[in-house]
Amino acid sequence: MPEPRIVAVGTSPIGRTDLTGRDLFSAALAEAFEGLPDPAEVVEALYAGNQSETYEHQIMQGTLLAEWAGLRNVPAERVEGCAAAGALALRHAVEDVRRGTHDAVLACGVEKMTAGGTAGATDALSAAFDRALEQRSGITAPSQYALLAQRYLHEHDATEADLARIAVKNHRNGAANPRAQFDREVDLDAVLESEYVAPPLKLFDCAPVSDGAAAVLVATPEVADALVAREAQTVAAGVGAAANNVAVAERDLTFVEGANVASETAYGEAGVDPADVDLAEVHDAFTVCEALLAEAAGFAPRGRGYESALDPGERSEGWTDVRLSTSGGLKARGHPIGATGLAQAVEAHEQLTGRAGGRQVEGADTALLLNEGGVADAVTVAHVLRRAA
Amino acid sequence: MDESRKRPRDRGPLSREDVTADSPFTLPGFFAELAEGRLTGAACSDCGHAMVPPRPACYACGSRAVAVEKQPRAGEVVSYTAVHTPPPAFEARAPYTVGVVELASGARLTGRVDADYDAVAIGDPVELTVRDPGDAELAAALDHETDWPIHVFEVR
Ligand SMILES: [Zn+2]
Repeated sequence: MPEPRIVAVGTSPIGRTDLTGRDLFSAALAEAFEGLPDPAEVVEALYAGNQSETYEHQIMQGTLLAEWAGLRNVPAERVEGCAAAGALALRHAVEDVRRGTHDAVLACGVEKMTAGGTAGATDALSAAFDRALEQRSGITAPSQYALLAQRYLHEHDATEADLARIAVKNHRNGAANPRAQFDREVDLDAVLESEYVAPPLKLFDCAPVSDGAAAVLVATPEVADALVAREAQTVAAGVGAAANNVAVAERDLTFVEGANVASETAYGEAGVDPADVDLAEVHDAFTVCEALLAEAAGFAPRGRGYESALDPGERSEGWTDVRLSTSGGLKARGHPIGATGLAQAVEAHEQLTGRAGGRQVEGADTALLLNEGGVADAVTVAHVLRRAA
Repeated sequence: MDESRKRPRDRGPLSREDVTADSPFTLPGFFAELAEGRLTGAACSDCGHAMVPPRPACYACGSRAVAVEKQPRAGEVVSYTAVHTPPPAFEARAPYTVGVVELASGARLTGRVDADYDAVAIGDPVELTVRDPGDAELAAALDHETDWPIHVFEVR
């Protein structure tokens, strides 16, 4: 079974832009294919992560983005799983290469979230909740995660300030990432004094609404070596995916079981333990998510995941030395829904190939990506990436 | 079909003929019951897990030996928050309190809580009530949903 390689990556500007979805894709594609042959000479299939057609009133994203890449009559399709769409696209690309179905597959993701304003985004995101009881209760994405955060603070020895420190840390990381939506740091008071969106979560506990696209080229080792130097490649060593149920109320509110299953699966495929992971891009759509995911991924003891904001030496016993959300995470890099899982892969790829600049984790060898969709672990996709050289 | 292969209808698995709009195993049937004040769930005959609304398989153990069971309306708050940035259809009501409630049967569901955020705490006893949808809720409803009531938890 060929061990798939990530060959090239790119993103569009992330944030509030005057570009449409296809334009954002064009920018991401241009970066990924800089110095490479045309996509038509390399790419055999395309998967496009995209949350919602309501933003731009456009489906057929697979066909559209393949067309924009100059790919004619190749298999191409949109992948949907709310905010996990990007990693689902990556997973399909990796599985196609593993199976030998294709030698090179383009995983991409795009979202034009600002198209309908905040109300449009609120409404589009609410489609991820159960229509029968959740949507009818007027629940929103921040309030869904607030239900998790409220319970987390109730069960554990953690405070709103502990969650706020995760936002401060991720803004600090984002300020060092040229791809990030936010280029400024925030201090603890700014987070704690921001308005409640859904208590205990405040505005600065929440990832922003973002436009953006990302593109990741996955190929066999042979194709990868023909295109770029080994040092510029990473290995997709493990993949895991788990769909938990839709309605949040029916889940364990303080343990994201689906994320635990997905990461354990990916670790098993890659033959690594949580302690081997040098950096992790986790789905910090809200600060509490980073705490929950640190625990589910085996980095932190139960109830101590909120210490992700601390330097490794300052964390409780039982924590690994992993660095979380070095890109700034969804919180500061931005969260263009369908592209987010691939933006996580972009960060890990840059870190593992030693090109992360001022935020470089020294000696980074292994990375975990955890991308979630729906609320929390309604669906989770995990990837373990490793250095290729 | 061989009669001996048919399981009793109240134990599942559902047959194709069981899936009708007046069965609580479907959303129209569930909401019709709820409109009459009856909250229904599915109870697993194998592991006892209770689920609202009813569904054809147990999410705890995977068994399809599920039966419709009337649910208690009393429960307690497991978690709660207040919605300050509502969807367009709920703008006039904000901020409003929502919560996760565990019924005495063990089934858990999300719903609005008819109390100020500051007046609610985890563990509070609540009771499920139903009311007709308001104008804004009707405007947001799909054609097949207009008769479906809204469930609200009242603090006891
Ligand atoms: Zn069961």
